[in-house]
Amino acid sequence: MPDLVLQARGVAKAFAAPSGRLAVLADVSLEVFSGESVSIRGSSGSGKTTLLQLLGGLDEPDVGEVRVLAPGLGLVRPRTSLGRGVGFVFQNYQLMPELTALENVSLAARIAGASAGPAESAARELLAQVGLANRLEHLPARLSGGECQRVAIARALVNRPSVILADEPTGNLDERTGVEIMDLLLGVVAERGAALILVTHSREFAERAGRRFVLSGGVLSPA
Amino acid sequence: MPWFLHLALRQLFPPGKRFPAFATVSILGVGLGVASLLVVQTVMNGFGEEHRLRIRESFGDCVIVGSSPLARPDTLVAELRKNKEVEAATAYAEGPGLLRQGDFSGVAAVRGIDPADARQPARQYVMAGNFDDLDDGRVVLGAGLARILRVNVGDHIELWSPAMTERAEKGKAPLPADLVVCAIVRTGFTEVDDRAALIPLRRFREIWNLGPRAHGVILRLKNPSDAPAVAGRLGVGHPDLRFVPWQDIKKNFLEAIRFEKTMLFFLMFIITLVASFSIGSTLFSAVIRRSREIGVLVSLGSGRWQLVGLFGVQGLLIGALGTTLGFLLTWVMLFFRENILGSINAVFGDGDMVANVYQFSKVPLHYDISDFIIAAFFTLVTTTVAGLVPALWAAGRKPSEAMRDA
Repeated sequence: MPDLVLQARGVAKAFAAPSGRLAVLADVSLEVFSGESVSIRGSSGSGKTTLLQLLGGLDEPDVGEVRVLAPGLGLVRPRTSLGRGVGFVFQNYQLMPELTALENVSLAARIAGASAGPAESAARELLAQVGLANRLEHLPARLSGGECQRVAIARALVNRPSVILADEPTGNLDERTGVEIMDLLLGVVAERGAALILVTHSREFAERAGRRFVLSGGVLSPA
Repeated sequence: MPWFLHLALRQLFPPGKRFPAFATVSILGVGLGVASLLVVQTVMNGFGEEHRLRIRESFGDCVIVGSSPLARPDTLVAELRKNKEVEAATAYAEGPGLLRQGDFSGVAAVRGIDPADARQPARQYVMAGNFDDLDDGRVVLGAGLARILRVNVGDHIELWSPAMTERAEKGKAPLPADLVVCAIVRTGFTEVDDRAALIPLRRFREIWNLGPRAHGVILRLKNPSDAPAVAGRLGVGHPDLRFVPWQDIKKNFLEAIRFEKTMLFFLMFIITLVASFSIGSTLFSAVIRRSREIGVLVSLGSGRWQLVGLFGVQGLLIGALGTTLGFLLTWVMLFFRENILGSINAVFGDGDMVANVYQFSKVPLHYDISDFIIAAFFTLVTTTVAGLVPALWAAGRKPSEAMRDA
């Protein structure tokens, strides 16, 4: 029986706008289980990134609540389990430009509390798993877009989170590299037993998820 | 090493860049501020120390004078020498005299001393001749005075004293004292070198018609820094005499130097403060530029205080490296101070400012560890605060806003 790793109930979010409050999300509920992949599709400005930030604890909902399974803690507010319960993969990779690939991945483990040695070992293992064993000491500026996204995936996984939140992970990549990254993301996440929530414009990539949703008008509905 | 310290070091010194612009300019700015502060402080200390030394060499650790010449100086000297706090006591007399050699003449501050006094400070500054040759027919001259008179060791000079007018009043022809230069001293203190003439006290008494009297007694104490208290104790029982500790001789002048040093500290510290403001401003730009990275760090689990540490430590590191550079620059500038001063004189004027204004032939120095500690402390505090302000601002932002605004 898969574990419940993420639960959102009645989540709503609005932002201040010149014309008053602009409701972006209204009564969004979602449950995700371990090993599961979920895609959320929607047009630009539909609130996909906002939803992902609420699910990941980077922002707080106005109404409703989000719970994430954190190792050793159970279901907790995502803000309290950042870096451990949830891993992020961003469209622009968001690697630290001054750190090598190895340091970028081990940084995530260090922030989560690991000491230098184990953090580096885990980072080496993951970078080898994503095919970058020979790029460990390269700075992001010397890596291709696909390689940067591989580093970002390794970074998201290094603390063995229960959920990976991927925000347009192929948005900056060419088609062939995008397919490679999707293959890698789905494969590695499944291999590690984590759940994947994928936000994307691409119908093709969204179709590859086990469950598919569309976000429109602030409402999340099955595709 | 904590991760935020590692990341701070990498952000300050990115790999592959030998002289990263932000770090280089910031460290240089702080270093120059610290160096200018310490150079001024060290030179001012030097002036103060040199003046104190000259005062003690000229007047001893304590000078005893009366409203008129001391009638029985030898009795007083014998009494003082018995005191456990006194290391040495010698009577002296002094007065202005006119020196002449051929067509050249000069006004001298003539002092009558005990030639047998082995601790006579002038002994260590002999540049020509032999101090031990000083007797009733000889004189020791300051180097500047010897130059004015165009004399060297072995040359004869004539000494005229104001007391000789008494002979003239009595209808006798006043005859100058004929003296042979036995030694020339160069102390580096212009006031002494250009005016000092030393003769034995016995001879001085003859020329000045003093009889057995002396103008005062110079004391050397076992603990010179305790001179005010010792002077107070020694003065008990001598209401007609003044016991003046060396700290009170030219007190206003020493106070002026101390005040000048304090004022210059604050003026120079402003330079460091300006450098710190530029660090704060640049770090603010860096924090805004790195907004998205800050959001990412939060998404990775970074706490508020770790973010504060990340940017705050950059200010601290700049302060620490800038201070170290400042110490190094201070040493280099002070090592080459004469060359630097020579260049400044060559560009801005032809006078010897140090000799004319401060009476020294060279720029004096005195390293005071407390100046370095104070400069380092204030610099580290200001640069750390300059880094902390943007750090606190960054840490207070919502990560979603930080990522959206980038």
